[in-house]
Amino acid sequence: VSKRKILATRAALTLTPSAVNRIRTLLEDKPEYIGLKVGVRTRGCNGMTYTLDFTKQKDKADEEVLQDGVRVFIEKKAQLTLLGTEMDFVETKLSSEFVFNNPNIKGTCGCGESFNI
Amino acid sequence: LPKLLRCPQRSQLPYAGCLQLSSTSAQEIPTDSSPIEEKVYLSESCVKRLGEIMDKGQYLRIQVEGGGCSGFQYKFVIDSTRMEDDRVFEQGGVGVIVDKESLEFVKGSTLDYTQELIRSSFQVVKNPQADHGCSCGSSFSVKL
Repeated sequence: VSKRKILATRAALTLTPSAVNRIRTLLEDKPEYIGLKVGVRTRGCNGMTYTLDFTKQKDKADEEVLQDGVRVFIEKKAQLTLLGTEMDFVETKLSSEFVFNNPNIKGTCGCGESFNI
Repeated sequence: LPKLLRCPQRSQLPYAGCLQLSSTSAQEIPTDSSPIEEKVYLSESCVKRLGEIMDKGQYLRIQVEGGGCSGFQYKFVIDSTRMEDDRVFEQGGVGVIVDKESLEFVKGSTLDYTQELIRSSFQVVKNPQADHGCSCGSSFSVKL
């Protein structure tokens, strides 16, 4: 176990201010949860889809993103596919949703929920 | 015993019922054998949400368009004008508009406002016409 080289790292996931606000609101009255967990699942017409859950603990393999006081954990399986992604929260009268602006994806489904890389 | 039910199926082209190009009558053709009611049901959460976001005189319009990965997709817009061929479904002080062509594709289904952590949005669920949809539920294909 030698000394580790310290490298400047870029966050695997960046959050927009609206996403930060939304996550903060979501967690406000839920002290039992420490943050949200982002994952990907094989589902949908274009290969994969994002999942989002409350999480009580950080799993060993999770990548932790701490930004502006909110914590988001990325599941191991999702780390490669999400690298460099911006997580946004878009709210309109008809829908409100977290949107992932992922530079790695090749195509999406019409609804934007499913994607492939 | 259901001898009456079989006749109308053969008497028209399979897709003529969907497109309604030749039909001139304003209301549904009585020979239609399906028991599906020409209406759209509104779920409780949908009525509640519409009550929150709609101003007076505004309706949620459901449109069906070609597109999406499964052939057709639902589109939702806020509208305050009613056209001649529109049907309005009101419940709990809120209203949903569906034009006649779109109604053919969504009749019998339920408009729901689903709330999940990752997204909250209006969705057409339990559509008797839809065969299978996209994971997101915004696109669907039609049973023939």
